[in-house]
Amino acid sequence: MSDDADAVTDGGAVAESESAAASGGSGLASLRERDDFVVIATAAVLVVFPFLLIDVFGAIGDLTGFSIGGYSGLPSLVLIYGIVVIGFNLLLGYTGLLSFGHAAFFGSAAYSAALFSQVVPSPLLMVVVGTLVATLLAWPIGFVSIRRSGVYFAVLTLTFGQALYFYALGPGAWLTNGDNGFSDIAAHGLFFGAIPLEAPLTPLYALNSYTVIYAFTAVMMLIAVWVANRIINSPYGLIFEALGENEERVEFVGLNVFRYKLMAFIISAVFAGVGGTMFVIHEQYIHPTTGLYWIQSGDFVIMTVLGGTGSLVGPVLGAFIFEYVANVISGVSLPGIGPIGSLWRFVLGAVFVFIVWVFPRGVYGAAEDLIGLVTGGGGGDDGSEPAATDGGEAE
Amino acid sequence: MIPLQVDIASILLNGLQQGAIYALLGLGLTIILGTMEFLNLAHGALYLVGAYVGLLVFRETTLTNGLLYSFGVTTIGFDGGFLAALVVVPIVGFGIGLLMERFVAEPFYDRPETDQLLVTFGLALIVEEIIKNVIGGNTFQSIGPQTIFGFNVSQPVALPVVGLFPSWRLFIIVIALVIIAVTWLAIERTDFGLVVQAGTRDSEMVRLLGIKINRSYSLVFALGAALAAFAGLIGASIQTLSPQIGTDRALLPAFLTIVVGGAGSVRGAIAGGMLLGVIVSAMTQTYSQWAQIVLYLFVALMLIVRPEGLFGSGEVGE
Repeated sequence: MSDDADAVTDGGAVAESESAAASGGSGLASLRERDDFVVIATAAVLVVFPFLLIDVFGAIGDLTGFSIGGYSGLPSLVLIYGIVVIGFNLLLGYTGLLSFGHAAFFGSAAYSAALFSQVVPSPLLMVVVGTLVATLLAWPIGFVSIRRSGVYFAVLTLTFGQALYFYALGPGAWLTNGDNGFSDIAAHGLFFGAIPLEAPLTPLYALNSYTVIYAFTAVMMLIAVWVANRIINSPYGLIFEALGENEERVEFVGLNVFRYKLMAFIISAVFAGVGGTMFVIHEQYIHPTTGLYWIQSGDFVIMTVLGGTGSLVGPVLGAFIFEYVANVISGVSLPGIGPIGSLWRFVLGAVFVFIVWVFPRGVYGAAEDLIGLVTGGGGGDDGSEPAATDGGEAE
Repeated sequence: MIPLQVDIASILLNGLQQGAIYALLGLGLTIILGTMEFLNLAHGALYLVGAYVGLLVFRETTLTNGLLYSFGVTTIGFDGGFLAALVVVPIVGFGIGLLMERFVAEPFYDRPETDQLLVTFGLALIVEEIIKNVIGGNTFQSIGPQTIFGFNVSQPVALPVVGLFPSWRLFIIVIALVIIAVTWLAIERTDFGLVVQAGTRDSEMVRLLGIKINRSYSLVFALGAALAAFAGLIGASIQTLSPQIGTDRALLPAFLTIVVGGAGSVRGAIAGGMLLGVIVSAMTQTYSQWAQIVLYLFVALMLIVRPEGLFGSGEVGE
């Protein structure tokens, strides 16, 4: 109990010092530095990611005989889901709300962007429209669902998502093409079609793993990371975190709990909307099952928890693991057992249960703990914020 | 043009049949939730197991893919008939429930609700994938028998007002209602039920009174699991089997049922299941495309207007 109190008072103190910093104190530089650091580090990873995944892993695969290299579309796909789960984590990892209906925002953004592309085939405007639709949809759904908590919240978000799914499958088929899926996506290239999305980024053969769409997605990812980092480190984000730890306390302080929860919900839906639009631009196809079905919502949950809630990196790591297992490991053939093939979901489920059971902070949290252990508590300082979240949850 | 009362009567009867399955599912889920405050997203997996165990006991099935097939096994099952399945399936469900309570639920009683949801969600995924990979992901025919207890149930029977109605479905309604009634009596009228009910209110107090509530927990969990498996068998006798039915036909309806009826309430699960069954049946017979949409929106509306459900106290599951 005293731990809890400490965490909250701590949070308050940090919020104060940071808002002071924002208003022009000497602490401004350090905050900026931190922001810059996150963005630059992300950019660096984004620059080497396709090379690592496709070329390096591919070379290792050639050497060992296990085909563990990624295909050319995979880096973009990982980033797309990464964008979604960064937002989802703001809701689950920080605010502590488990939604089983985020496919609704992902899918509705994808469908509306796809439909919009037939009028204006600009990828950038598609992102704007798709995200706008997801946001507008999240407002009423969030407004209604936030009033309930726990399993009721999960079921409410689920019901809205499923209603949309069945609408897209049946009565809405005139709009969505129903079970056949929607493939009339007319997105032309960037800059009024001057640069086709599928083209390689440079004419250099050695950099063939880098496509225009990857660069486009990477920029979106960079923006997503920057925005999420700003939110998490702002006083506003601290309130999200406080909500996840102890809702009553936040209410007693006099804050409007409902409003903050609703904002967390809508913000997470914005990320899902961006991801959904990028998904449809990338895949050039959307089906009710990939876009709106609750299993898709469940996949977001799996990615987030697998990687680790309560940190910026964790969920993206989860998205990578999920997509890597789904698309690459499923093609690997093991000696004696044969191809993994359709067993991939089983493998993933087993890993997921193991992670939830043993490492509630996910792969990233476990790695952090391990580093902390090796360096003799040095990592503890690094992970002070997520650790505080966890202390509250474990009680 | 069919007279209106025929429509209404057949809607009610079909609704009763669908509702009985929902009620069985909701009943199992709600007693586990109410007693242990444990959220079991693997409830649908128990339905799935019930359906497939039923399939194995009921008839010999020819495999066309899956791991067993690749090992050279082309047929599985015993051709034991439906009565054997009726006995075996709940026992298997009961056993799985005991194991699940001991090895999965117990370590998670003191952990956050979200962890319970996540671990059982993962477990459901694993069960579904095991069945998909071992027996094959294809769809199997339903396992409705020709005769049971000497009655021929393959022909429709003429009922007053409704007209012809499949006699097997009539049998399902009867047997499901009997099981529901027995469960209700066990919880409302026996000492065991009394302990369970008291545990729902205040488990610590029950423990202080010297009652071994952990034993009751195991029993309740196993009972809930047996009910889910039984629902799976009933469901499989009228609908086709595939690995997805665990989530599509069981897990989601079960959660909708208890949310409508009130989490933790036995009466609520029965009433909620019946209500949803009638809604689905009415929509299916009129605007079938909208059936699922209306179902989900109804539940959403219910949660907004009456959050505690039909019979719920509003305390469980928050």
